[in-house]
Amino acid sequence: MNTPQRVPVSILTGFLGSGKTTLLNRILSEEHGKRIAVIENEYGEVGIDQALVIDADEEVFEMSNGCICCTVRGDLIRVLGNLMKRRDKFDYVLVETTGLADPGPVAQTFFMDDEIRAEFSLDGIVTLVDAAHIEQQLGRSDESTEQVAFADVLVLNKTDLVNDEALDRLEARLRDMNRMARVVRTERANVPVDTVLNLGAFDLDQVLERRPTFLEPEYPFEWTGVHALDAGRYELSLADGPDPAMSLVVVSGQGTDDAALRESAEWCVRRYAEPAEFVRPGENIPVGKHVNLPLDSPGRKSFFLEVDTQVRVGLYTQHTAEEFDLQLMNAEGAPIRPEVERTWVAQHEHDDEVGSMAIELDGDVDPEKLNAWLGELLRERGVDIFRMKGFISLAGESRRFVFQGVHMLFDGQPDRPWGDTPRRNQLVFIGRNLDRESMQQGFEACLI
Amino acid sequence: MAVTLQNDDSPSGVLRRGWSAAVGDYAIAGGWTLHGESLVVCDAAGGVYAFAGKSGASAWARQGAHDGGVLAMAIHPSGTAFATAGQDGRVLLWSVAEGQVKQAIDVGSGWVENVAWSPDGQWLAASCSRQVRAYGADGGEVWRSDDHPSTVSAIAWSSAGELATACYCRVSFFDVSAGRLRQKLEWQGSLVSMVLSPDGDTVACGSQDNSVHFWRRSTEEDSMMSGYPAKPSALAFDDTATLLATGGGNEVTVWSFQGSGPEGTRPGVLKRHAQPVTTLAFARRGMRLASAARDGAVVVWSLQRDGKGRPIGAAVLAGIGAKLYWRPDDRALAALDARGGVTVWRI
Repeated sequence: MNTPQRVPVSILTGFLGSGKTTLLNRILSEEHGKRIAVIENEYGEVGIDQALVIDADEEVFEMSNGCICCTVRGDLIRVLGNLMKRRDKFDYVLVETTGLADPGPVAQTFFMDDEIRAEFSLDGIVTLVDAAHIEQQLGRSDESTEQVAFADVLVLNKTDLVNDEALDRLEARLRDMNRMARVVRTERANVPVDTVLNLGAFDLDQVLERRPTFLEPEYPFEWTGVHALDAGRYELSLADGPDPAMSLVVVSGQGTDDAALRESAEWCVRRYAEPAEFVRPGENIPVGKHVNLPLDSPGRKSFFLEVDTQVRVGLYTQHTAEEFDLQLMNAEGAPIRPEVERTWVAQHEHDDEVGSMAIELDGDVDPEKLNAWLGELLRERGVDIFRMKGFISLAGESRRFVFQGVHMLFDGQPDRPWGDTPRRNQLVFIGRNLDRESMQQGFEACLI
Repeated sequence: MAVTLQNDDSPSGVLRRGWSAAVGDYAIAGGWTLHGESLVVCDAAGGVYAFAGKSGASAWARQGAHDGGVLAMAIHPSGTAFATAGQDGRVLLWSVAEGQVKQAIDVGSGWVENVAWSPDGQWLAASCSRQVRAYGADGGEVWRSDDHPSTVSAIAWSSAGELATACYCRVSFFDVSAGRLRQKLEWQGSLVSMVLSPDGDTVACGSQDNSVHFWRRSTEEDSMMSGYPAKPSALAFDDTATLLATGGGNEVTVWSFQGSGPEGTRPGVLKRHAQPVTTLAFARRGMRLASAARDGAVVVWSLQRDGKGRPIGAAVLAGIGAKLYWRPDDRALAALDARGGVTVWRI
């Protein structure tokens, strides 16, 4: 007998009022040519004829061993097990959780139950966030923290109710908690269907493609201003600030939209990783270089920027413009206001218990040592590790070993051959109070 | 992965060619009428079919009986009527001879996942999400339970007037005519299947955490048999209440209740399947057990009173083995599979 293709499943989480139903209705009413089954837990709100909508009570079943990692959703096992019997199967399943749900049991159901695992694959977890209320919710409930931590996609909804600065701050905070997730901003849950379906989210390659530097530390700069300039010489003036120096990268040809800002931000992360060039007051700032401006002499300091054509430049500064009263002026001394400003919040301004960590190392791993290390880690810390994924270079294996996990449950298999690409290891963990140092050392000890 | 019999077994086994037929979708449930005159089969798309027991000739076929599909069916002890239950929240009462719906009962807004006739045929029990209801043979409601703590996963009549239900963490026994709870057995676990011993004393449940839990009603003592590689959703008691056969992996594990067992004894382990066992059925007499698996393999075993046994016949279905039904005289075995196949062997 041939094994049928596994049906992909997306899990939709988010607090009450975050817009789950609006998003569901949008997905279902769009022409996507898919037969979707929706398993809904907040009753009777979705009403679209073309989809099979099943109301199920969220029944979270714990096992006698008391292990939270073995906790599953009994209703899903029953309902999905039955739906799969029909010959005219559907192509996709969407599971909507209640606002207060811990996403763990839903996700674990797709690992724990053999019959479900044989027929379905967890494609991704989408968490809707009410931009206006999530900060309060994060403070008050473990569930909303876990919903953020488990997500593959964070849909930042109702952005029209919050100002840009607060949004940037919120996004940075969410990113701190979950560096694996893709963040999408929207107003009325108005996101393209392909941001929530067929994510292949458990595939780390895709994540890396979208954010090549996501394994690296958070942005090392806090502020960006985009200025439209004509050819000429400009003065960058800074007052005394909290630090005796400040780093900066100037990007030429900077766009003003969100995507362009992010793209440059990723590029600047790599510039910031390079050694900084000192530029003294009165000197010119080179474009596209990591520079350091010494600001230890008293009073305002001026640096210069020369452009030979009409261009937009992006200043990616280590600290916010406000802190040093940063001003850009033309040759006549008239200040040039930035067209667009954006703040990026550095990682350690928030102290959420939940965070992400990545391990990136070259070389081959001893499978036995890895097994022993991972086994112990998951046994002891599995409760606090929400998600993990990555790939590993196992000694003696010509293919990459890709894996993913939820709490203590771990699933991995060989994927494509290494070929000419350098053999290396990338692991990402999202969890509560992760002990970065000991995990890094533990994995390093597995290398041959 | 076909099942092969070793040379010391009879090569063709006890399963002899009978007849086969097809229904429109996954053959989800069925049953023989009283003397095996007819085999009634329901499919997952909502089709209901009757076949002549001897020849397999189609007696009648009805499509779309339940919107969304059939979930369960039960033949009335008289053999002249049966009940079907489905995703549409309804129970239908049918006549076997004409294939006509005599009565339609709206049970609830959820799926009706279980139906069972009381042994005397007086009452029909049906479960719909957290509730169980009982109806008279005319379809009139005679009793309904309070909400269980979670969806009812299995029901069974323990006597003419007493109904057992299983759900997450609990087995309950209800005196239906008095409308009250008679006994409640609790255990932390998701009970996915239930079987009562024919002598009425033992209730066994398969649990999501890959164990079988059972209680003796007289003493309320309970035991747990763990270590199954998968969840034991298939369970069967033999008619003498001596043997409990359990699935939960590629092996069939048989616990013997003779003497002081099964506690402290080693079960019989029946090894022949190459994929997880999906369903089990005991013949009424002679300690014969039939098992089917995900790869469509069907094996008939001859068992001893200590639970040990050997295969005496085998065959392969086109799809995942869904259900097995011995004809009431044990002279034939019907198998339903996931591709809509209905296969009957003479024994």
